Amino acid sequence: MVLLLAAVATAIGVAASVGSASSGSAKKSLAGGTYRIGWDTEFGWTDSFDPTGEYLADGFGIYTNLMLRTLVAYPHTAGPAGTKIVADLATAVPKPTNGGKTYTFHLKAVKFGPPVNRLVTSKDILYSMERLANPKDGGQYVFYYDDSELGAIKGFHAYATGKAKTISGIRTPNARTIVFNLTTAEGDFLNRMAMSATAPIPVEVAKCFEGKPGAYGRDVVSTGPYMIEGADQVDDSSCSALQPMSGYDGQTNLTLVRNPNYDPKTESTGRLALPDSFVFTVDTNTDDIYNKIKAGQLEQNEVSAPSKPIREWATNPSLKKLLHYNSGDGTYYVTMNLTQAPFDDIHVRKAMNLIIDKDGLRKAWGGPISGTIATHIVPDSLEGNILKNFDPYKTPGEQGSLAKAQAEMKLSKYDPGHTGKCTASQCKGVLFIQGERFQDTQMTPIIVADAAKIGITFKVRVAKPAYPVIQTPRKNIPISERPRWFKDYADALTFFAALFTSKAIIPSGNTNYSLVGITPAIAKKVGATGDLTNVPSIDDKYAVCQAQIGDARVACWAALDKYLMLNVVPWVPYLSAYNVYTLGSTVAKWDYDQFSGTTAFARVAVKG
Amino acid sequence: MALYIARRLIWTLVVVLAVLGLTFVVFYLLPAGDPALRFAGRSPTPETLAEIRHRLGLDHPWWYQFGRYSWHFFAGDQYGWPGLGYSYSGGFSVMSQITTRAPRTLFLIMGAAIIWLTLGVTIGVISAVKRRSWIDRAAMGFALFGLSAPVFWLGLMALFIFWRELGLPFDTGYEPLSAGVWNWSRHLILPWCVLALLYAGIYARVTRNSLLETLGEDYIRTARAKGLSERSVILKHGLRASLTPIVTMFGLDIALLVGGAVITESVFNLQGLGWLAIDSALGQDLPVVLGVTMLTAVAVAVMNLIVDIAYAFLDPRVRTQ
Amino acid sequence: MTAPGSTLLEVEELTVRFPTADGVVQAVTNVSFSLRRGETLGIVGESGSGKSVTNLAIIGLLNRKRAEITGKVVFEGTDLLALKPDELSAVRGRDIAMIFQDPFASLHPMYRVGDQIAEAVLAHEKTSKGKAQQRAVELLGRVGIPNAAQRAKDYPHQFSGGMRQRAMIAMALVHNPDVLIADEPTTALDVTVQAQILELIQTVKAEFDIGVILVTHDLGVVEETADSVMVMYAGSVMEYGSAAEVFGLPQHPYSWGLLDSMPSIDRRLETLMPIEGSPPSLISPPPGCPFHPRCRYRFEPCSSVRPPLEAPPGGHLDACHLPSERKQALGRSRSVEHFGARA
Repeated sequence: MVLLLAAVATAIGVAASVGSASSGSAKKSLAGGTYRIGWDTEFGWTDSFDPTGEYLADGFGIYTNLMLRTLVAYPHTAGPAGTKIVADLATAVPKPTNGGKTYTFHLKAVKFGPPVNRLVTSKDILYSMERLANPKDGGQYVFYYDDSELGAIKGFHAYATGKAKTISGIRTPNARTIVFNLTTAEGDFLNRMAMSATAPIPVEVAKCFEGKPGAYGRDVVSTGPYMIEGADQVDDSSCSALQPMSGYDGQTNLTLVRNPNYDPKTESTGRLALPDSFVFTVDTNTDDIYNKIKAGQLEQNEVSAPSKPIREWATNPSLKKLLHYNSGDGTYYVTMNLTQAPFDDIHVRKAMNLIIDKDGLRKAWGGPISGTIATHIVPDSLEGNILKNFDPYKTPGEQGSLAKAQAEMKLSKYDPGHTGKCTASQCKGVLFIQGERFQDTQMTPIIVADAAKIGITFKVRVAKPAYPVIQTPRKNIPISERPRWFKDYADALTFFAALFTSKAIIPSGNTNYSLVGITPAIAKKVGATGDLTNVPSIDDKYAVCQAQIGDARVACWAALDKYLMLNVVPWVPYLSAYNVYTLGSTVAKWDYDQFSGTTAFARVAVKG
Repeated sequence: MALYIARRLIWTLVVVLAVLGLTFVVFYLLPAGDPALRFAGRSPTPETLAEIRHRLGLDHPWWYQFGRYSWHFFAGDQYGWPGLGYSYSGGFSVMSQITTRAPRTLFLIMGAAIIWLTLGVTIGVISAVKRRSWIDRAAMGFALFGLSAPVFWLGLMALFIFWRELGLPFDTGYEPLSAGVWNWSRHLILPWCVLALLYAGIYARVTRNSLLETLGEDYIRTARAKGLSERSVILKHGLRASLTPIVTMFGLDIALLVGGAVITESVFNLQGLGWLAIDSALGQDLPVVLGVTMLTAVAVAVMNLIVDIAYAFLDPRVRTQ
Repeated sequence: MTAPGSTLLEVEELTVRFPTADGVVQAVTNVSFSLRRGETLGIVGESGSGKSVTNLAIIGLLNRKRAEITGKVVFEGTDLLALKPDELSAVRGRDIAMIFQDPFASLHPMYRVGDQIAEAVLAHEKTSKGKAQQRAVELLGRVGIPNAAQRAKDYPHQFSGGMRQRAMIAMALVHNPDVLIADEPTTALDVTVQAQILELIQTVKAEFDIGVILVTHDLGVVEETADSVMVMYAGSVMEYGSAAEVFGLPQHPYSWGLLDSMPSIDRRLETLMPIEGSPPSLISPPPGCPFHPRCRYRFEPCSSVRPPLEAPPGGHLDACHLPSERKQALGRSRSVEHFGARA
């Protein structure tokens, strides 16, 4: 046990924040080869690899590192350095004018890859934005751009609802210039323009897939250093002649080869593009992937490794240096509904934070090798480590403290006798939604036992799947251990916006599970019933932070995080998970892309 | 005989239609959750949901959807015949998925079937002939092992021993015949053996019991009285009459394996129909689920028909019914 | 090929025992008889008398691993019991043939009748399939099946009961055997068909010049066809002699009981007279005469001393302690005078 901890500690120490392997020697000697990645079970695309609709990290990782260049991007490296905005297609990162409401980008001379083979123009970026707006094209992060929602591009909503023929807030004065006009100052607008959905798309190919979301995923045209194999064999002269690119079979195999039109001289985000090709293959047998890595048939796994191979790598001296940990930029948490008793009382919520054995919950995910105990809402890397030592509900070993919890409980109205236990009837038989994963079956008993210590008993209901249940406010679910949340891009807004603003409360697919900021009007709209009198709102604080930029913005988010943990207490956060990669010995160079939370494919190399 | 076959064909058609209807009811009328919501992803605004519902054809009443589905099934759609529509999650045609994956599953089943039939029946015959000897007990013990060992454990053990430890080139994954017979078969050898082991056990036991019963019949005594060699008595007279339960089982086993060899397929990364079925069911991708279910139903119905016809060939008494 | 009238089969002290978990079953004890060419030997007895086991032992269909067989079965100079299994299967079907009780169950349901007979041909003769099938058709014709060529292509379930038995007989005759053993050939058939089959057996016996062992529990059958009669009970021979002797003057209480219990067309019947009691268990049989518990005429020696098979002066073999005058007196009243001519 001690040996294991020592090994793990060493591994963490070695890999700490920057996850790269050997230091890069002369680029020439590391170039070449095929980098092979084993993918567990299935690709799991959210829109069949069509960039307009992909919203998960795996898709971003491949797009931004290898295939799609956006106006601005990130340096494809680990830690806070990896979340800095740099120019990609733009000649430079623009400073906003007009009180932060206008952004003007000038484009480099970059060409599309085969079969299009022409220069990228501002109209191509406008087309991507229109494609995002058009509900028939399956766009997913529309709300980050829509001026009636969290976004602020002028005229976006009008275009999306068909009331206008163009997006008035986007202008293309010439082929190399594009101007965005916002309705309000958005401090993270550049982060949003680094999302792969905004990458230029050639209309001559994509028009063939109009109204068929996901279909473009078989024919994605590249602007990055790599393209889908077989792109040069595709005939784009007409829609009927257009065939899917041979290198992507739609289900199990994605092969990327060098894009002949990529000019490394235009590169400013640190892409090294060392291997000649990348091959991603799905393997339905998870064990098999790790066996193959050890046998030298694969370089690495795509998703974070489960605990078994992690332990294997961590305890094997020759494999230890091939184990890489990085923050996954996600928080796992127990959510409490502020409108449902007994969680409508802040003291009860604080007592929950003090009694629950977070270390025990982490054991369900594999223990310390799976991540650090989360003590606040947003991962530290998004808040510049400001709240690194902020642990308002600290208990010995993070295993919960009966004394502290009882002390808190005594202040609650549900403990009129000040016994330290919840004695009111509202604390008995509270509905608890358990998730469908294996880990959920291990976490629930811990939470149930801990809550019982302070007099709260649960009626546990397993929901398979659980998300649809807890995402429906009408069901008035008091508590669940199922949720976890990952950033969409490297700005804490991506946590607060969807999780705690009142605007985010919707009748189905709701992610503001705690119903922070709910008003009687909203409650009526979504069908939530319960006690609305004690539910605070953070809308005003959010609005303030949202308008900030730079360090002030980061500090503002940190303060909001602190406020939520001390004055709103919507969650019991417990895990800030690692992304763990178990590399093969053939990997010559490796880095982690903090933006996408995946391997920085742009900066890897394979031996031989 | 021809009349017999004709009658069976018509009945098969009726069964397929019934399955179509029942499947449709189960998957379209009793859904656990709204499929449109699942595909709406991160931003399920009411407009997005309506858009998705329209695109997936979910905004029509169920009988309209059923009628449309049945029509496409028999008449074909833009992707070919039978028309199974397109997947919700990928937009690709269900037919193309099935035609890509079906060969893998079919090769897996066929190869395993040949092995388990040969192995199972042989062991069963030997066991029956040498009843209660140590050979019989060993054979039945082996059969019990094959029956009881979980397929995923067998698969993982096989991979561990043969691929990892012994270094033999029996990899996971699948390569088509076009890559060469050796390359095609080396990926299938372990899955064949693992799948066959399970069924060989069952078939050995059934053969043994059936043959033992047959060997007690009077016509076996006649055969011996004629002076036939013991081998002829057992194989020509005994086994022939014992075949009917084996044929019945075989038909059903093959048919169910079409969509059901999920564990073997997933352990060996063959990505056949079984995996497609599970994956699409979990993802609420209704057209794919329907497509695979229909395919399996048709396979079962067809196999039943073949079994019935085989029956008539095997046992002349059946023909006159 | 031995001369007509010569001895084909000589059975000496045949004993068959089956060791089982419950004890040793004494199925057949010291059975001896002989069979000449042209002779029909009728073996009579109830179920469990050992008559079938005797024949199975002769033809070698008993599993030598499960049965202890002692004695001698001499066929044309060779002791069959001393032969090795493959030597024995050369004899079986070729020189000694057997037909069984239930012809429907005795024919393989899935092969054509003609093919099954042809198979019998090919079992002992190297010839072509076509010739074997021709022979099958020919034999079917000889046993009285009309349209033999057509019927040969049929399956057993398409034949009637009588025709099936004819087919069985045809199959038995394929290699011109010297001995035909018929184990209850008519028991499963209708009365009218019975007569036809028995007639056929007689015809065949004459035409092919063979010896026939006819096993039955039905005295009436034996009366009609047998040249000699052997009565068996509990695995032993009770009485053995020519049909004229046994029916003319039966010497054993068991035979008297059998005859008494038979309803007869020329005897008025008030009540049936069965033999009381039931056959004994063959495991550790009681000492003395096996029949004595059911015998009306038992007396002191019967329960302790086994009566030997001996012929009283002027009579035929029997196994009974009764003094011969008593036997004659009691036998006379059961004499069947016009046997062989029952209407």
